[in-house]
Amino acid sequence: MSKEKKRLFNERLTRYQATIALESTDRMIVGGTGSNYFAEAFAGYSRQETIYDGSKWLATLSRFAESFPKVDLLRTSRSVWAPLVDAVGYRLFKIPGRDLPPDIEFQYVEEEWMKIDDYDLLIRNLVQFMMERYLPRVLAEFEERGSTRSYIAFLKGGMAYIMRAQQLKQWSAHMEREYGLPSPLQGVTYAPFDVLADKLRGLQGIMIDIHERPEKVIEACNALIPHVVNTALAGADPLKRLPIFIPLHRGCHPFLSPRQFDAFYWPSLKKVIMMLIEAGYTIRAYLEGDWTPNWHHYNEFPRGKIICDIDNKADIFRAKAEIGDTVCLGGGIPDSMFILGTPEQVRSRVRQLCETVGKDGGLIINGGCAIPYDTRTENFRAYVEATLEYGRYSDTIIRPELKPVPKPAPGRPALGLPPKTITPWDVKLEEMGGVTGDEALIKNYWEMLEAQVYGWLLFWAW
Amino acid sequence: MTKLTELTSALADLNKERVDNLVGAKLEGGIAPMMIINELNAGLGMVGDRFTAGEYFLSELIYSSHIMKGIMEKLEPRLGDVASGKSAGTVVIGTVKGDIHDIGKNIVVTLLRGAGFEVIDLGVDVAAATFVKSVAETDAKALGLSALLNFTIPEMKKVVDALVSAKVREQVRVVIGGAPADEQVREFTGADFYAADAPSGVKICQQIYNFG
Repeated sequence: MSKEKKRLFNERLTRYQATIALESTDRMIVGGTGSNYFAEAFAGYSRQETIYDGSKWLATLSRFAESFPKVDLLRTSRSVWAPLVDAVGYRLFKIPGRDLPPDIEFQYVEEEWMKIDDYDLLIRNLVQFMMERYLPRVLAEFEERGSTRSYIAFLKGGMAYIMRAQQLKQWSAHMEREYGLPSPLQGVTYAPFDVLADKLRGLQGIMIDIHERPEKVIEACNALIPHVVNTALAGADPLKRLPIFIPLHRGCHPFLSPRQFDAFYWPSLKKVIMMLIEAGYTIRAYLEGDWTPNWHHYNEFPRGKIICDIDNKADIFRAKAEIGDTVCLGGGIPDSMFILGTPEQVRSRVRQLCETVGKDGGLIINGGCAIPYDTRTENFRAYVEATLEYGRYSDTIIRPELKPVPKPAPGRPALGLPPKTITPWDVKLEEMGGVTGDEALIKNYWEMLEAQVYGWLLFWAW
Repeated sequence: MTKLTELTSALADLNKERVDNLVGAKLEGGIAPMMIINELNAGLGMVGDRFTAGEYFLSELIYSSHIMKGIMEKLEPRLGDVASGKSAGTVVIGTVKGDIHDIGKNIVVTLLRGAGFEVIDLGVDVAAATFVKSVAETDAKALGLSALLNFTIPEMKKVVDALVSAKVREQVRVVIGGAPADEQVREFTGADFYAADAPSGVKICQQIYNFG
């Protein structure tokens, strides 16, 4: 990496960290969205091309970075890589060019994949639940368990999963090296209630469950906590520089009443976020939909540890007044303005945000949790220029020095969580009747691969 | 107006066990299924009112539909060809082409039916031509276009344009709703109304049919 790119990378990262921490910075972040769909579609490839072909994905992001050199952050990771979905016949996504027209983004198929009778097994043993109940239903290639095809599907699925992880690493390294661009987030996890409500029980199922079996829902949310935290840690930045991404779905108004939110949604999510904060991480939470009646809960966390992205349906001015002293906010430009508005409208909106919500920092101007695909290029340009013009706080250039991070203890399960294994090393060791040489050398690799498999199994339910 | 019966209240209060018992007793007592349905519809109407008033949330709305669905499965075989009484009007609704999400649309459908509308639910990923055909065939005065994803904005416009081309635009008022919808989108698409949430969608349909 050139010295200049390294300096740029550090400066941007430091500015981002300071913004999250609600500390003073030289200026507002430009393009600090966590999901830049505009960039993903910028080079004009079809959605099918970018969801299958990693080189096209990287090409479109690179073209964007070259066209908008003032943008401070760009996410390179993507949640869905279609070859991995195909390898196992995952039924929960409709894929462009396969099930949808090639130019339409992938979509999610919501059904009751977990049955009412499955609650007890999920609570008792999540891995067994995944292997025996969930995966045979959601992975078409695993439907006939024990068949050659099902073994091959697991093998292919595992290989594709590793390939995907390697791609993600390469892409972020490329953006850092070539453009000095940090990612706005690294690692992802979900609210336990959302895990149940999205891919397991579905919205219909969970809404019936909170009336008919409320205690099971709460028990299941609590049982998911360690797994949800493990998932976050598995993908998180080992240097703890970048926030962990938590998109939040069913906590919005009016899905749940405030009383239901307090009973079902919040307690387990709060524990997850607190565990991650206490372990030294920051969080980027998408408050998707309208969170107005529920967002006051974010005041329960320590100051300067979380970004809350405010969606189109909620009022960012009100968010500033109600949680802006505790968390950094993202948002402020309606998606429709990026798509249908004029550069003058965008400019004047950015100016208004800089003079009000972002006056003393703590704001990353963004669309509603994302920059939309169909954003007009001239509107994005107007947003970049106006943010640079109106979002300046001081002429002092921030020091390009990163905050030191505590070194993670190697080889230990973090945070007192259970180790991420399906077959614990002790069981294997007993079967072997001991080893003749250095046990740690064998054990470390055993556990490393076990952790990968554990991550792979849970990946399909998140 | 149906008076507030025990069964109506039981459904409005989401007491599934009580609803099941009362319906069972009524059927044994020889009460006509249509009478039972009228009482239950009044209960659904109350659920909708409580939702509009902010006392109930989507969880209650979805649960009330679930209770109703269970009862209807029992009643439908006994119904025969009995007409369900006077309709408040016909509404054609669907999620526009390219989008397969239906949670929001289904909630609006539930509320509309609770308010006495006859709803033609075209489902998800509905082509412009299908909307036009349904509007022309049913003489509906209200058309609801739903979407979750914001790339569907041009598709909503396409539906409105197709209504114009088919010369049925004058007959129907178009209401858009869902995450991408707002006033700016309404203006772009040429729709008549933008519904910020499900209850306001119902209110707009009532205005269109000139009552409520």
